[in-house]
Amino acid sequence: MILSKIFSFSELPFKIIWSVLFLTFIGLITLYSISQHHQGPMLLNPFKKQLLFLIPALLICFLIICIPRYSIHKYSYAFYFIGIIIVVLPFFNISHAGTSRWLDFGLPFTIQPSEFAKVFTVIALARYLSDNTLRMKRFTSIIIPIFFAFIPTFIVINQPDLGTSIVMMAPVLPMLYWAGAKPFYLFLILAPVLSMLTAFNSLVFTLWAIILGGVIFFSRTRMVMSLFLFFGNIFLGLLSPLMWNSLSTYQQNRILTFINPEKDPLGAAYQIIQSKTAIGSGGLFGKGWGAGTQTHLKFLPVQESDFILSVIGEEMGFFMILLILYVVGYLITQIVKKSYNSKDRFSSLALIGIATIVLAHVFVNTAMTVGLIPVKGLPFPLISAGGSFLISTYIMIGLVLKLSINYTD
Amino acid sequence: MLKTDNIVSFKQYLFVLSVTWLLMIILISRYFQLQIIGHDQYSKKANTNRIRKVTTSAPRGLILDRNRQILVDNSPTYILNAIPGELDEKGKTFKTISSIIGLDSFNVSQNYKKYYRGRFIPTRLAKDLTFDQVSRLEENRLELKGIYYQQFAERYFPSKIRASHILGYVKEVDKNIRNSLEKINEYEFGDIIGWSGLEKSYEGFLKGTRGVQFYQVDAYGREVGHVSDFSPINPEPGQNILTTIDIDIQKKIESLMIEKKGVIIVGIPETGEILGAVSSPDFKPDLFTGRISENDWKSVLNHPDKPLVNRFNRGLYPPGSIVKMVTEAALLNNPDFNPLSFQECKGVYQFGDRVFGCWYTDGHGNVDLTKAISNSCDIYFYKTIDYYDLNILSHFFKIFGFGEPVGIDIEGELKGIVPTNFYMNQRYGRSGWSKGALLNFCIGQGEILVTPMQVFNYINIISTRGNTAQPHFVKLNKPNKYYKMNLKDEDWDQIIFDMRQVIIAQKGTGRAADPNIEGLKLFGKTGTAENPHGEDHAWFIGWIEKKPKKYSIVVLLENGGSGGSDAAPIAKEIFNKLALTKY
Repeated sequence: MILSKIFSFSELPFKIIWSVLFLTFIGLITLYSISQHHQGPMLLNPFKKQLLFLIPALLICFLIICIPRYSIHKYSYAFYFIGIIIVVLPFFNISHAGTSRWLDFGLPFTIQPSEFAKVFTVIALARYLSDNTLRMKRFTSIIIPIFFAFIPTFIVINQPDLGTSIVMMAPVLPMLYWAGAKPFYLFLILAPVLSMLTAFNSLVFTLWAIILGGVIFFSRTRMVMSLFLFFGNIFLGLLSPLMWNSLSTYQQNRILTFINPEKDPLGAAYQIIQSKTAIGSGGLFGKGWGAGTQTHLKFLPVQESDFILSVIGEEMGFFMILLILYVVGYLITQIVKKSYNSKDRFSSLALIGIATIVLAHVFVNTAMTVGLIPVKGLPFPLISAGGSFLISTYIMIGLVLKLSINYTD
Repeated sequence: MLKTDNIVSFKQYLFVLSVTWLLMIILISRYFQLQIIGHDQYSKKANTNRIRKVTTSAPRGLILDRNRQILVDNSPTYILNAIPGELDEKGKTFKTISSIIGLDSFNVSQNYKKYYRGRFIPTRLAKDLTFDQVSRLEENRLELKGIYYQQFAERYFPSKIRASHILGYVKEVDKNIRNSLEKINEYEFGDIIGWSGLEKSYEGFLKGTRGVQFYQVDAYGREVGHVSDFSPINPEPGQNILTTIDIDIQKKIESLMIEKKGVIIVGIPETGEILGAVSSPDFKPDLFTGRISENDWKSVLNHPDKPLVNRFNRGLYPPGSIVKMVTEAALLNNPDFNPLSFQECKGVYQFGDRVFGCWYTDGHGNVDLTKAISNSCDIYFYKTIDYYDLNILSHFFKIFGFGEPVGIDIEGELKGIVPTNFYMNQRYGRSGWSKGALLNFCIGQGEILVTPMQVFNYINIISTRGNTAQPHFVKLNKPNKYYKMNLKDEDWDQIIFDMRQVIIAQKGTGRAADPNIEGLKLFGKTGTAENPHGEDHAWFIGWIEKKPKKYSIVVLLENGGSGGSDAAPIAKEIFNKLALTKY
């Protein structure tokens, strides 16, 4: 067979495949529960829609396994630019509810290009870091990859899509770390962000200042540089309340709601409260499949995508949540392991990047459903409904399967 | 492509895995916290989230007359509500509604604004719709998305009597009313509450207990079904109350008072039961149900004769000669007093530097006590004031029930004024009044003011020789007895004999009240009370004996002329009516 020439079937990482299939299956049965009383056009039924999108997703995944690996490396920059172009396109479209996240081709469904752009960005980053590996010890050389990721992120943040832009930026630091950048430099990259966030609470800010000072001191940087770094961060922190006022109300609201959700039970916090109620009332084994009152009486918002974990929590209980989070953790561990074992820098970096994206999705989405972080419109990989997201996830899975096979070509 | 054995160290690999699992553990612990530790709390929350408690109001008790004929009923009307969140085109829907129910669409949208409280809370558009209007709305169901109606029991008065001051009225509980209530938790907005008359006095009986139903609702507050694990509590209707009113008698006395100002009270002296009472002018009992037009309402409110005032409870009048039996009792109480001795009446009487006249300016000639009562001579009483003093006379007025509310079961009763030394000193100062005040007091003029209900109680006391019961409108198992009387039998004989003479003596002032029916014995007293603010008030009080029964009546014509010639003929018509009653 021709296929056997391209890859060896027995070499495929089955632990990853089983995990992926398990999560997809859980997603489908949950969507089936939600869709039980659904009437109307098929593409409005989340279960049928997901099932339909699974076909191209699996096909693309299979296609990626079949294409030669070098071509992934070769066309990575090209895809990166395509990614940037497609995330700009929605701005020329008629916006949906004041946002420009989706591309509307007149089809019964819309496409979210940022989902694909994030994958292309990771691949491009992997190529850049693997091509320029020798210069990693210098501080300036880590600025370029950050800039690389920041271009599409900046566009996406203006769509506005805070969730996806977080996911887009997430792989940068782990990949730099993986590529051999000095941890102290990564700390310096992160420091301004933390300085700004902690500035809203004087106690936390003081604590942060002590840590910052300590790290700078032990890094044995030159005196002038140390002072610059330290006071620069403090100054930035003191400036951030001013920057807060320049945020859009929608962003401010999300952050404010996060601080005290109970204050505004019918506004933005409504979603968090309903989600927590659904999850909490599920208990150890849940109310039973299809029997979640919060879900089926529509108390739970965006239940088929952002809050699908709340549905699972309500209907199948803590037991299933534990199983899902374990399987996801296991899947990420497997990808990281493949990355560690990879003999090829490009593959290794791409794998760690994808692992980070999956982890970012899982963490942000799950933490959001239980009120640990503000509401971000971010789905859970493989379980949440969403055509573009399902396909982009399967593209990543395809890449994982392709790149985790250690062979030379 | 650069190739090495492993591009990262094992330490880096472990670090990344540790971070991954640390994050996983954070998430799992949070889920553990919500689902295992917080399970009970969130279950409760989930239940209250989806279950809506809907209270259903209990039908109010009916008010019946003594023969169990319905005086106050409940009639179903409909309230038209809109769920704002479900309305399609507000303007068009309102126009359709107004064309069907005949209410200006401006009013509909005004109501909408006035009652709007939230997107999914029913908002009232119109009330008092008839079944007919609702069925026509139902025919246009498809054009009226988001429009619902709700049944509402309104008070309805099927009998032909008004009795508006007795029955009273109800109000819809709104925010102000609710906050003013003592039992604030027993009422919800939109409930009806007795606001005056029997509706108010017997609120506790009439009200009933609200029922509770549980509905499962979705996130939009829409009902999606009943809940099986919470059993509904059915509303308990209010109790009916059986009044002492007789529809026929009430109707009769109401017809007698048309176009007149004043009060008629008819009752049974032994039990204190009131068969009928009218305070005229009155108002239509459905004045407060909202079916009345703005103009009618204004005409009632601005009427110079104040139809809303309950005269039998809150009207204060000088009693005039009708209280001469009180003075008589005070005289008889003095052992030195001889009822058979004569006093001369020349029509005028000089006391100090003041001249007091008898109503009969020609003079009654020689008058004994009986004649003084039957002819209602004033001079006789002026000349006998030395047999008592002001405080003794006040005491007698008080034991006959004046100067304090009789305790009728309709609230708002006034107590009137019975002057005492203390009262006179307070009002005029110690030297500001003299014994001459007694000359007014003894014939029921001057400071004394009484309510018609007190007069009714007074006539009941005399007719039963002090064995009456508190006047009341609602039948009681054991009426409160009147315990204050302690008069000698021969004094009662004298008083009652004299009151008979009022009717039958040649010059008796009450002759015009006698229906002259075989077997009926009438006793009475007239009064023409001078009124410092205008025309005299005409009184007739009395009772009729139709063995073994007695019926007592009070007739008061405000600014109505003389007791003997104006009030007594009205009394006669009532006695004629009473003669035909079966009890």
